[in-house]
Amino acid sequence: MISDRVKSNLKQSLSESILPKIGLVLFIVIIFMALFAPVLATHDPTSTGYFDPESGSAYPPLGHSYDTEIAVDGEFTAVTVEANSTHLLGTNTVGQDVYSRLLYGARVSVIVGISATLLAMLIGVPIGLLAGYYGGRVDDGLMRVADTMLAFPALVLALALIGVFGERPIEIPDPIVMAGFADGMPETIPIPGTVTIVGALVIWVWFARVARGEAMSLRNAEYVKAAKSFGTSNTRILLKHVLPNSMTPIIVLATIQVAVIILLEASLAYLGFSGTTLSWGYEIERGQDYLRRRPWVSIFPGIGIMLAVISVNLLGDWFRDALDPNIDQSKRGA
Amino acid sequence: MLKFLFRRLLQGILVIWGAITILFVLRAFSPGDPAVLMAGEGADDAYIEQVRQAEGLDEPLLSQYFEYLLNIMVGDFGFSWEARREVEAIVIGRVPATVELAVAATVVALVIAIPLGVISGTRRNEPADYGATLFSLLGISTPNFWLGLMLILVFGVWYGIPYPSIGTSSFSLGGFAVEYPNSVGLGLFDFPTGRREIGFAAAVSALVFEQSVSELGTWVRYITLPALTLGTYFTALITRLTRSGMIDELGKPYVTSMEAKGLPRALILYKHTLRNTMIPIITVIGLQIGTLAGGAVITETVFNWPGLGLRLIDALNARDWPVIQGIVLFIAIAFVVINIIVDALYNYLDPQVRES
Repeated sequence: MISDRVKSNLKQSLSESILPKIGLVLFIVIIFMALFAPVLATHDPTSTGYFDPESGSAYPPLGHSYDTEIAVDGEFTAVTVEANSTHLLGTNTVGQDVYSRLLYGARVSVIVGISATLLAMLIGVPIGLLAGYYGGRVDDGLMRVADTMLAFPALVLALALIGVFGERPIEIPDPIVMAGFADGMPETIPIPGTVTIVGALVIWVWFARVARGEAMSLRNAEYVKAAKSFGTSNTRILLKHVLPNSMTPIIVLATIQVAVIILLEASLAYLGFSGTTLSWGYEIERGQDYLRRRPWVSIFPGIGIMLAVISVNLLGDWFRDALDPNIDQSKRGA
Repeated sequence: MLKFLFRRLLQGILVIWGAITILFVLRAFSPGDPAVLMAGEGADDAYIEQVRQAEGLDEPLLSQYFEYLLNIMVGDFGFSWEARREVEAIVIGRVPATVELAVAATVVALVIAIPLGVISGTRRNEPADYGATLFSLLGISTPNFWLGLMLILVFGVWYGIPYPSIGTSSFSLGGFAVEYPNSVGLGLFDFPTGRREIGFAAAVSALVFEQSVSELGTWVRYITLPALTLGTYFTALITRLTRSGMIDELGKPYVTSMEAKGLPRALILYKHTLRNTMIPIITVIGLQIGTLAGGAVITETVFNWPGLGLRLIDALNARDWPVIQGIVLFIAIAFVVINIIVDALYNYLDPQVRES
């Protein structure tokens, strides 16, 4: 499926430019954070009440302090809240550890991003291949459906779909905690199930369109004609010839769509429609009312989203440049 | 040209019909009995039945569907269960704020992105190019709600005046005191972070009829941060497109021949190559109107901007389906119409497309 030419192009781009390297390193870091969140976390991300005992306020990140006021006998007194060495990035407005929640937030983003994209591929690619290969009415119908879906902005369509399905989190058991490697961490983590399905329903059209285009150009290829002349069944031609040769643009698209889904999930969580409180977007929303005095609550999850999206976008650019034979070598990195 | 427009219009109508159908199906599957929601809280069974019959909710789905379709055709978008008003009135009341925001964001994007893209495309692999590339990478990867909050924060911290002249709203949210500044910036020129105070039309009419500039100034101050927030993704995208478009065009033979003739570089760049680069950019702007509308939902929520997006979120929280359907449908129709206009423009700009 992946030819030697593609492999050597991938290697060549990786060694020529710095951007794919940054993307790859960031991606590995984020996957590592997501996989080993229970081991890397210092506190249970869901347990609350880690407050400065004197003021009852959230801890700032290490190396920082801030001033606040406490009421003593009806009088306001100024106090300075110092950082606590066990809370690396401070605590949030309900007293949860920001660093531990950052790690778990990576899990939610990675799981939703990858599973929604895979689901969209499973829906879109077969429909697109069939439409492109057979053409005619099926194809016309698909294109009209695609146009209609694209008339809705992704976020707006996602909101309308969530209005229908509700916000249902799926509790996924954590194998690392189950195996006893991380005591005191939550045994299951909630993944926004509706957001995953809705994300797939919003982006499948892109996969269908790309697969259709590929199938249309491949159905007249010499080797497909040859296979037909041997009496090979259409199903077999689609699976053995058309699908493998369409995979390159589909992989490039899938990479970019992971970034789209991560942003979509964060946006929905920010708006309060994700169904899980472990999401980065939710955490940013929670911090915004306290932006002036406790900005770290919103800052860190935002950086998390940004780095995750940058890494996936850079990988997407790398794959696109290396895999697309039509791209002029001199335009690499554009 | 006429034939092309007619075909395009027909396609657009088909898409809108599809959109109406999808929205109807979604509503039919949405949880909760609409009659109960419409009757309001504490209504007794007899009243709920009365509402069900009066609204035709007891009829078969297919006849409800045709009724809905007919109503949309005559401009009747339904009646809000929560606000107790016609949906079309709610939608139209919210359109100006969203349009102002979207147009301001697009203007910000074009003004920044096109020069940046030209510089980056003509000085490849120089520091300016790396800077522009990094900026566009960050721009397409930053969630805009976070960007909005960071703008509020950064402006406040930079100027060191987190509590500026206008003051702070302090209201209680879930038992916590809210400390969210109403505006940030220097006393002289602060950027409000709250609800817009005056519409563009009112500001312009004050300027024309009363020779008063302050209204327009207020409008600009209120729209600056939201427009930057919404416009950043667009700016990044257009910078990328302009850059790669310029690189493409500069490699073509006509540029070499113009250079050989001794035409000034600026003339070649701005009159010829940039013009050819604009054609795909216009198409992308048309297609990205949807992204802009989605971004507006978020931006309006961050800045409490009284547009369609903020109203959509309110309606979703109240499960007010007629309003949800109305706003989503309006956005879809706007998208289709704008794309027909873009296609017509494209047709006009590009002689090759015109001939085929």
